[in-house]
Amino acid sequence: MLFPTIDFAVFFLVVFTGSWLLRPHKVAWKVFILCASFFFYGYWFSSQDDLPITGLLAFSIVVNWAFGQAVFAAMTPDGERTQRSRRLVRAAVIVDLGVLGYFKYVNFFLDSFTARLTMIGVHLDGPFVNVLLPIGISFFTFQAISYVIDIGRGVWRRPVGLLDFAVYLSFFAHLVAGPIVRASEFIPQLDAGADPRYVPTAEPFMLIFRGLFKKIVISSFMATIADPVFALPQDSSSWQTLWGIYAYAIQIYADFSGYTDIAIGVALLLGIRFPQNFNAPYRALSLQDFWRRWHMTLSRWLRDYLYIPLGGNRGSELFTYRNLFLTMVIGGLWHGAHWTFVIWGVSQGGYLVGERVVKQAWARRGAMGLPPPLVKVLQWVLTFNVVCLSWVFFRARSMGGAFEVLGRLIGDGGSSAMVTPLVIGTVLAMLASQFVPQRIPEAVTTKFARAAPVVQILVLGAGLVLIDALGPEGIAPFIYYQF
Amino acid sequence: MVLRPFRSSRPGTMPAGLVLVILLGALLIAMVGSADATLRQSQAKRGNSGWRTDVAEGVAGVADFLHLTAPRRGLDDAMGREAKTQSIDDLKNELAAASGSDGATATTTPDPATLRPTLRTPTAANPLKLWVGGDSVTETFGTQMVRVSEGTGLFRSTLDFHLGTGLCVPSFFNWPEHLVKDVLPKDDPDVVVIMFGANDGQNIKMPDGKVLERFSPDWYAEYERRVAGTMDLLRSPKNDRVVLWAGPPPMGPDTKTHGMDRISNIAWKEAQTRPWVHFVDTWAFFTDNDLQFKHSVLMASGEMKGLRQKDDIHMSDIGGTLLSWVALDDLKAFVDLSGSKTQPTPGEIRPPDVKERTEVPETVPGAI
Repeated sequence: MLFPTIDFAVFFLVVFTGSWLLRPHKVAWKVFILCASFFFYGYWFSSQDDLPITGLLAFSIVVNWAFGQAVFAAMTPDGERTQRSRRLVRAAVIVDLGVLGYFKYVNFFLDSFTARLTMIGVHLDGPFVNVLLPIGISFFTFQAISYVIDIGRGVWRRPVGLLDFAVYLSFFAHLVAGPIVRASEFIPQLDAGADPRYVPTAEPFMLIFRGLFKKIVISSFMATIADPVFALPQDSSSWQTLWGIYAYAIQIYADFSGYTDIAIGVALLLGIRFPQNFNAPYRALSLQDFWRRWHMTLSRWLRDYLYIPLGGNRGSELFTYRNLFLTMVIGGLWHGAHWTFVIWGVSQGGYLVGERVVKQAWARRGAMGLPPPLVKVLQWVLTFNVVCLSWVFFRARSMGGAFEVLGRLIGDGGSSAMVTPLVIGTVLAMLASQFVPQRIPEAVTTKFARAAPVVQILVLGAGLVLIDALGPEGIAPFIYYQF
Repeated sequence: MVLRPFRSSRPGTMPAGLVLVILLGALLIAMVGSADATLRQSQAKRGNSGWRTDVAEGVAGVADFLHLTAPRRGLDDAMGREAKTQSIDDLKNELAAASGSDGATATTTPDPATLRPTLRTPTAANPLKLWVGGDSVTETFGTQMVRVSEGTGLFRSTLDFHLGTGLCVPSFFNWPEHLVKDVLPKDDPDVVVIMFGANDGQNIKMPDGKVLERFSPDWYAEYERRVAGTMDLLRSPKNDRVVLWAGPPPMGPDTKTHGMDRISNIAWKEAQTRPWVHFVDTWAFFTDNDLQFKHSVLMASGEMKGLRQKDDIHMSDIGGTLLSWVALDDLKAFVDLSGSKTQPTPGEIRPPDVKERTEVPETVPGAI
């Protein structure tokens, strides 16, 4: 069930009504939200044969909850780790990554393996393995891992009941594409007793409206140039290829941050607050800064559960570089089982390491006499273009395709017909929007909140008609659903 | 205002009941304001029957009656998105008028000897113009068709696909009009490669409101008329254009996309009397020996390869590549492609014993 559809609107109206009617009755409310979330998840599977995949979510819930209980029981009364608690945490991580790895990577490894065999003249006849990737598996698996590890670290010293944990892991608003919410952020809100007289509205309405606009209008429009440039690179001139790459950078931002805005807004309307996931990433002045602004909940997950366990910066410079690099490569592989994602992760890791090396050298050398504003502009231009170039690997369907697109940047011939003033204007406007001070959208939200309810109805209704009119007929799935 | 007394004392919040009223009100405005567009999408996606389309039709009727769709129509008009509704007959007459002949002549039985197109032999310096288009199945196929055809060095190719389209719901996307008004004047292709069908296994709603039930005799007559009309519109007056009409391949058993065998049969039948149209039989290459759907099939290299995406509807890259080579192979009956720079690898084609059918039956036993 995609967010920007009539199906979801009907689903949400029912859930919203039931949720606030049942909110005073905690157990009934949690059961209701759990059922709604499983209905939402099951709705993705058009075929009856695929429905058992919802069992995978149930499996993850039961297994990780049980591990959480066992790990907590194995800790000392003071919350110190024991040998047994460590083993249990490791076992939980192995089980989670094993399941994730099977569904996400088995096709990749088998395809690569058979391709290598074919190269040396060995042909393998079927059975052809085609494992269906369950939607959202990467996101709910990461949340489950964080829960068990936090208990094992003594960070989260409150193992929860199965029902609470099930609601935490399956809550529909974050189920399929995040944000990756931690138990410590989510579970306390289940018992916080939200008051139906004070439902937040202005902020979620604005978030949902903004998210829909970004997804339906901006992302769809940017796809009209990005898709052909990546599908048929040979047809594009270097000028069109460049704008196709920029358009993809805007498309993936509008698509993913648009999804996140809607998810956060929907959860807020039900009285649950999610952490922020994007903070104007294209205003970053360095790649490190970019990763503090882009998919923030994944970045902090990778930091806390991968980079720090690898040793973080608790060692030599080289040791830190290694950890940084490995974290980004694994982060790349998390996005999908393709060499393009591996190379994307390698490029991110490599650049992050290079950035640190240059920064340290620069600090020793001192300022070069350039005016600070100019330095900032140069840093911004460099960072944005590095990010855009690495998106080429993220977007391309194959390594060959990625290099073909990059090659077109310096190639001759091809058409530039798709680079219209509207395309350039939209890309520039979206980049400019990253620099709008936070107080301006806040002022708009406050003004909207003060408007009479009838005015709010008219504004929201007319806005939805406008968004629908500006967008294409039919909505493509969110890009991040595939991860 | 009437709702003001119910407002919350905390800024930015409201009582849940009032939020529900606002949500319902906003969605109601959006629903009636965009009723026409919703109906178009519903018809295109699910056909003219089913409760969703019925509801959309009811809402659109009420909204039209109350003139509530006017602002949205204005927006659509301003953006040049008004529904294209010109009929095939109108288009034929328009074309005939432009060429100075009677529109009816386009529908009379042509003399095969005089209408078989002749294409010049392409070279790298003077390639043929190839246009490939159709519905979403054509996206991957067309992408590979462009890649494969341009790889030969003998074609300059264009891809033009529109999601959720076909010949059943012209109010959603009018292919005949798009071909006549946009494609032929702009691209004037030497070779047209076209594929419809994945969205056409549905009822047809006629302009007078009559609904022709899917695969009923009336439906057959109307769909045949549309296929035949589109083929006629694509004929070049100078007989220098070949149309490769690819029938839709079979879809997976769980896809709820039925009747691809019937739609293939109609296209094949109509192509028999039109020498400028060659029917490309996808079934021979996307099925097992019993013409049953297969996600993966044996290639000439001896490898099993997945020809379809996970939805069992759309083609994988290798599926698109396979069909592209099939289409180019069929095209050799019309034009000398011996100057091609590339040839398919054994991993891109089916074994030599897999042949296109000489006759395409109305139904294939066991097919959905």
